[in-house]
Amino acid sequence: MSVASAIKTGDAAELPGKRDEDWRWTDLRGLIRQVPPDSAPAAAVGAGPFDGAAEEIVVIANGEGAAHIGVDPHGDRTVALRIVSRGDGSHAARVSIDVEADGRLTLLESYEGEGSYLSQTGLVFSLGVGAQVERVVLAADDAEGVTVSEAEVQLAAEASFGQTVITGGARRQRLQTTVRHPGGHANLRLDGVYLLADKRHADLTTVVTHEGLDGVTEQLAKGVVRDQARGVFQGRIVVAEGADRTDARMGHHALILSDRAEVDARPELEIYADDVSCAHGNTVGRLDEDALFYARQRGMPDDVARALLTEAFVGEVVERIGHEPARDIAAAWVAERLRGG
Amino acid sequence: MLSVKDLHAEVDGKEILKGLSLEVPAGEVHAIMGPNGAGKSTLSYVLTGRQGYDVTSGKVTFEGEDLLALEPDERAAKGVFLSFQYPLEIPGVPALTFIRTALNAQRKARGEPEVSAPEFLKLARAKAGELKIDFDMLKRALNVGFSGGEKKRMEILQMAMLSPRFLILDETDSGLDIDALRIVADGVNALRSPDRAMLVITHYQRLLDYIRPDRVHVLSAGRIVASGGPELALELEREGYDKYARAAA
Amino acid sequence: MAAVKQTVEHVASLEKYKHGFVTDIDQEFAPKGLNADIVRFISAKKDEPEWMLQWRLEAFERWLALEEPDWAKVSFPRIDYQDSYYYAAPKTKEGPKSLDEVDPDLLETYKKLGIPLKEQEVLAGVQGAPRYAVDAVFDSVSVVTTFKKELAQAGVIFCPMSEAIREHGDLVRRYLGSVVPVSDNYFACLNSAVFSDGSFVYVPPGVRCPMELSTYFRINAENSGQFERTLIIADAGAYVSYLEGCTAPMRDENQLHAAVVELVALDDAEIKYSTVQNWYPGDPETGKGGIYNFVTKRADCRGDRSKVSWTQVETGSSITWKYPSCVLRGNESSGEFYSIAITNGRQQADTGTKMIHLGANTRSRIISKGISAGKSSNTYRGLVSAHPKARGARNFTQCDSLLIGKHCAAHTVPYIEARNGQAVFEHEATTTRLSEDQLFYAMQRGLSQEEAVQLLVNGFVKDVLQELPMEFAVEAQKLVAISLEGSVG
Repeated sequence: MSVASAIKTGDAAELPGKRDEDWRWTDLRGLIRQVPPDSAPAAAVGAGPFDGAAEEIVVIANGEGAAHIGVDPHGDRTVALRIVSRGDGSHAARVSIDVEADGRLTLLESYEGEGSYLSQTGLVFSLGVGAQVERVVLAADDAEGVTVSEAEVQLAAEASFGQTVITGGARRQRLQTTVRHPGGHANLRLDGVYLLADKRHADLTTVVTHEGLDGVTEQLAKGVVRDQARGVFQGRIVVAEGADRTDARMGHHALILSDRAEVDARPELEIYADDVSCAHGNTVGRLDEDALFYARQRGMPDDVARALLTEAFVGEVVERIGHEPARDIAAAWVAERLRGG
Repeated sequence: MLSVKDLHAEVDGKEILKGLSLEVPAGEVHAIMGPNGAGKSTLSYVLTGRQGYDVTSGKVTFEGEDLLALEPDERAAKGVFLSFQYPLEIPGVPALTFIRTALNAQRKARGEPEVSAPEFLKLARAKAGELKIDFDMLKRALNVGFSGGEKKRMEILQMAMLSPRFLILDETDSGLDIDALRIVADGVNALRSPDRAMLVITHYQRLLDYIRPDRVHVLSAGRIVASGGPELALELEREGYDKYARAAA
Repeated sequence: MAAVKQTVEHVASLEKYKHGFVTDIDQEFAPKGLNADIVRFISAKKDEPEWMLQWRLEAFERWLALEEPDWAKVSFPRIDYQDSYYYAAPKTKEGPKSLDEVDPDLLETYKKLGIPLKEQEVLAGVQGAPRYAVDAVFDSVSVVTTFKKELAQAGVIFCPMSEAIREHGDLVRRYLGSVVPVSDNYFACLNSAVFSDGSFVYVPPGVRCPMELSTYFRINAENSGQFERTLIIADAGAYVSYLEGCTAPMRDENQLHAAVVELVALDDAEIKYSTVQNWYPGDPETGKGGIYNFVTKRADCRGDRSKVSWTQVETGSSITWKYPSCVLRGNESSGEFYSIAITNGRQQADTGTKMIHLGANTRSRIISKGISAGKSSNTYRGLVSAHPKARGARNFTQCDSLLIGKHCAAHTVPYIEARNGQAVFEHEATTTRLSEDQLFYAMQRGLSQEEAVQLLVNGFVKDVLQELPMEFAVEAQKLVAISLEGSVG
């Protein structure tokens, strides 16, 4: 049972729903009574947000397009991957990404939607020893669209995988990353930002399984929700028996800026090894009243003070993006969203 | 300049200020001294409009205008500046960004043009130099990871940059060693002028060796119970607050 | 240091599970198995009014339609509900009228367990020490309740549930099942059908209960389950502190303990509920035997400014499935949950709490300390939720896990649901092992490894221990020591 198979078979009963523990806050089965028909090929797709920052652009429109990105040993590529959805149909795509030993890949991934589509994308990342991947995801879906992105990452020793997912949500949206972490001094960073207004929904779900010695995972997710929006964060870190000297930290912090918005969080630790240091912190609330007063005492009107503090709150995540042009694009996108809301 | 008449204020339903009156003319520095729990910090928050500090009766005017009717930022734009006893840490906001946003907000409120970036940086560099603050520190998130002394110096830097007209220093000496105290005092003294006034709130006389007050008031149990010249501070240092605590009770 | 030394000496002087003996006493059983006739049998044994029987039968009907839950992180063979006795009681002509009539073997049992059943023994104790009224539940029945008269003078009702059903029917009818509905969950539903005994407490408006109340649960019979039902009501402005303790003999087969505890706090009332759970944990090597501890405990903070505090020390049972919760319905009501859960050997625990914020300015606080050793598994599962009307709701959660050894597991599964912009939730969790540096430091100062572990573990759980009433805290500290015996080395 999965979103991909529901799209393939057209059977809505295959969609995950709130009875599935991992989908309790992202109920697709309750939302979609009937799987929309297959999408027609998309017409013009226009420009993507990362066009200027990448050397190559790969477009997958309504499920059609190149499905493999490879980096040779010691190679170095910067690729913009555009997942474009147009219209009211459903479509699915699979993308495999192989980065061989000591190769480097900067993947600037964007979800660009217009319409009330149902879209599923499966990405499979495979990293060689010492490979370095930075994945920056900007999800700009339609308020009527339903998007599910499921990435599976196989890390290798001494490799590093850094990810920042930034989303404005959709009618319902799930951005999921599953990582198998072999330890061996491999480094994993899984960051996320959700900025939601109106009735939008976004679900950032991650599952990291530490399978070997000396693994590091660092995670920072932040969200800002207003109106009747709903933000979901599910982060699970599993440390298998024998995966000693694992160091894993997870933080999720959200601001609720209206009375009817909602944030649901499940930061989970599942530990089967004893020599570990794992921690998570989770806060949900509003802007710090003391900081707000401090800023206003210095002369900032209420709205200016709130905007400054909110941008700073999210900025802590955006700043961690290593690729500078991507960071600037992400920061500008975030600033626009916050001011526009 | 500042006139407080029979001010009553409460926090969480408990009356803290119980009929406080005070006149601070332009050009003067007044010290407020008093034992712990007398209401010193409450006075500073009431004057600056912090939520939860509710005025139940009395009047506060600033240059003839009703100060209590204004929002905290409107008071700031009028020139009321509070140097916090415990300055807040603002993660993610570089000190420079914070000060510049504040300065321009105040200027906008007063109908003045914004300060240009180069102009602002020049000013910040100069003032940081005077206060012996490493300029690079201004690029870091405001007060995050700063020592107590650094935070207090950052307060004085903001004061110097925002150039307020009425300064409230709430226990500015706490947590400062003697060198830092001297730097802070020099910064404050540099702002003394005939069209500015200051309210120096302190528990100890020590700070007043560096920032010489024109008048000293004793605040006890929510009221001013004694006023005098600088010699009053010395007397308090010698004899303690007991006499006044009893007078208030 | 003295405390540690004392603890260690205590450990040395005891066998691993000191409550594992069996009382050889004539007992009466219901026929094995579960059907509507068994439900009628239990009800008849307790001389219950018709409404109670109907309530039970309805629960039984609903239970048949439910499925056993499987979401907890515990695994065990399927329970054969037909292979167990649902009623076991020591044979007596009638219920004992006074302590003199209680079977001497039973009195001996409680003496061995260290439970004071004779009021004068308590009174003859150290001057100034707080007194405890005790309700002693042996398998399916309450054998004696002490200090009833003195409590009655204060207006406090403290009696076995079976007696309350007969004599305080109005109160029971009004509140029973009002916090944990009959079909709330599989085990609660089963309990509603076959519950035997437990304690009933009612503290009238404005009364501060003059002494600590406690119930001591003992499973003795073979192949039997214990299904106690406890109901505590603190009327407006009342206060009561209640303690429960649990033990069972060492047996090779698993025994089911499916209790339901309901607490109701009206305006300005406060209930403090403490548990020291030390059911037989099963054989540490083979995992054979032990109690399945599947209980539903919930408090309804129905009144404004009401307060409920749960404190638990969970060291026993082979499987624990337990989430003492608070429904914070009244405005400005508050809930607390302090927990120490220790698993060793083959034990599995899935425990935590739910704090449901419904009223404005409600507060909750969760401090959970989990310790896993041996081949055990220890899960904290919790829910903190704020509904749209719970403006100004606040929660703080601190959830720490400590691992001792290579083959144990520790999980943290918090659910956080914030549905309004005026709620502030903070949650922190850590999982670490015992610090080798600290161990070495303590050993360099002359402590043995076992002593050093004791010392560090006591430090780890201190925040929770200090929430327990004094006498219980000392007892709990000893229990912590015993539970971890043999976990290092």
